[in-house]
Amino acid sequence: MLTLGDYIRLYFRIEAQYIKGQMQYRADFLISSIGMFFSSLATLSVFVVLFNTIPSLAGWSLMEMVFIYAFYMIAISPMQILFDAIWWIRYKVQSGEFVKYYFRPMNMMFYYMSERFDIKGLTQLAAGIILLVYSSFRLGLAWSFGKVLILLIAVFSASLVLIAIAVMAGTSAFWLINSYPVLALAWKVREFAPYPMSIFDGVFRFAFTFILPIGFIAFYPAQFFLRPEEVSPLFFLTPFIGIGLFALTYKVWTLGVNSYTGTGS
Amino acid sequence: MRGYLAFVRGAIMVGVVYRLGFLFTILGNIIYMIIAYFLWRSIYAGREILNGLTFDQALLYIALGSTIFILLKTYTDWGMAQEIRDGTISVYLTKPIDYQLYNLFTTIGFASTSILTVSLPTVIMLIFVFRIHFAIGAGYLFFPVSLLLAFIINFNMDYAVGLSAFYTESIWGISTTKEIIVSVLSGALLPLQFFPAAIQQILMVLPFQAMFFTPLMMVTKPDQEVGVFLQMLAVQAAWAAVTYIASRLLYSQAIKVLRVAGG
Repeated sequence: MLTLGDYIRLYFRIEAQYIKGQMQYRADFLISSIGMFFSSLATLSVFVVLFNTIPSLAGWSLMEMVFIYAFYMIAISPMQILFDAIWWIRYKVQSGEFVKYYFRPMNMMFYYMSERFDIKGLTQLAAGIILLVYSSFRLGLAWSFGKVLILLIAVFSASLVLIAIAVMAGTSAFWLINSYPVLALAWKVREFAPYPMSIFDGVFRFAFTFILPIGFIAFYPAQFFLRPEEVSPLFFLTPFIGIGLFALTYKVWTLGVNSYTGTGS
Repeated sequence: MRGYLAFVRGAIMVGVVYRLGFLFTILGNIIYMIIAYFLWRSIYAGREILNGLTFDQALLYIALGSTIFILLKTYTDWGMAQEIRDGTISVYLTKPIDYQLYNLFTTIGFASTSILTVSLPTVIMLIFVFRIHFAIGAGYLFFPVSLLLAFIINFNMDYAVGLSAFYTESIWGISTTKEIIVSVLSGALLPLQFFPAAIQQILMVLPFQAMFFTPLMMVTKPDQEVGVFLQMLAVQAAWAAVTYIASRLLYSQAIKVLRVAGG
């Protein structure tokens, strides 16, 4: 049985090799990083153009929206960087290559996800941190050691929510073979996470809070730092939703892995 | 020409196999429309008109824009990158087939399946669920031609991006960058009327507006003079020609670096 320490050491060794391999394609890395940078900028430019016409969106100012968006960029980075392999699962399941993951004495999800480390995701993370610092300066937010600690917990929990949603969507490959449309759907809905949940009415607000909980990827956790006086109790639910969803996803993954029979080749 | 139509048929048959995929695409588009509805409702916040567009017009623009986005997203560049990398492209080069036309017709096949399975249900939803008010006008008559021209411009750009696979290992970066530039500058995410006047002027001389803004305007403001629509089509046709010639030139450069290993 491997301990957590073993896994961490193992992870660093695997990724070091992976990055060395990837460095053969330096031009590719550069272009991908630029692509990542532009894709982060798209939603931001929509905000800026939109606030040219309107003073606020559901009561939130441009700079507050930038803060929520920055939180979102940081929260989606762990999914991008560490769990990128989920996009390839449909090929592995379809071709039968997935059987190889059964033959190592370690956690299968760990083994599978460790095969990719998305370096370009670091661009997104860096851009998110810069925007977060910038917008909190502009908003004059007061930070303390305690608040930074809460921020780290909130980012961790929020990123678990997205990881859970995306990995669960990708895991559907064990039953559907081609899980791309499911994953693409989750990915598309994710883009709306940085918008204020207060724009939605009853049923839909409930749905985006508890059924497809994109509200927990950015809006609910970021709210606490912007307007602590009117924070919704949902903020305190974030860690539980994150950990709970991830546990559920892990369960579904295990079910999928156990039901997979390979392709017989 | 008859031979190329076989590619259209082939692509439709491949598309029909993945019925479940369409189901999720439709579901995704419905969720997107619901979110867009609420988002634009709070953007308008009771205001009658913003930048010359009513709420109904803006919602129609955004919702129809998202179905055109699905229609134009045919993954031509990804398919080409795959064929270039694994050498399948040599099969087409040794036959009397034009590689660009082969790709164009395959793409048309894929798109025609998604017109039926995604665009049509979306339009039905717009009419019956969101109860959008449609103005009456000549714009609808020009819309199909405009959409076809937008499709060709988009295809030429995808094709050019696909050609970059001759030079790099993965086209993710180039493809993503292109997609973002197109979706922001073409008016796919936001009607161009919302941009500051100076930026609007620049955007109108770029090819991107011909891919989303032009066809969408024909439906959101169909009651303009016929001359206006004809001028829009002329601009689109010019961009279709320019992007076609540019992609041809790129191809003749790129094909020189191709080396396919035997096997």
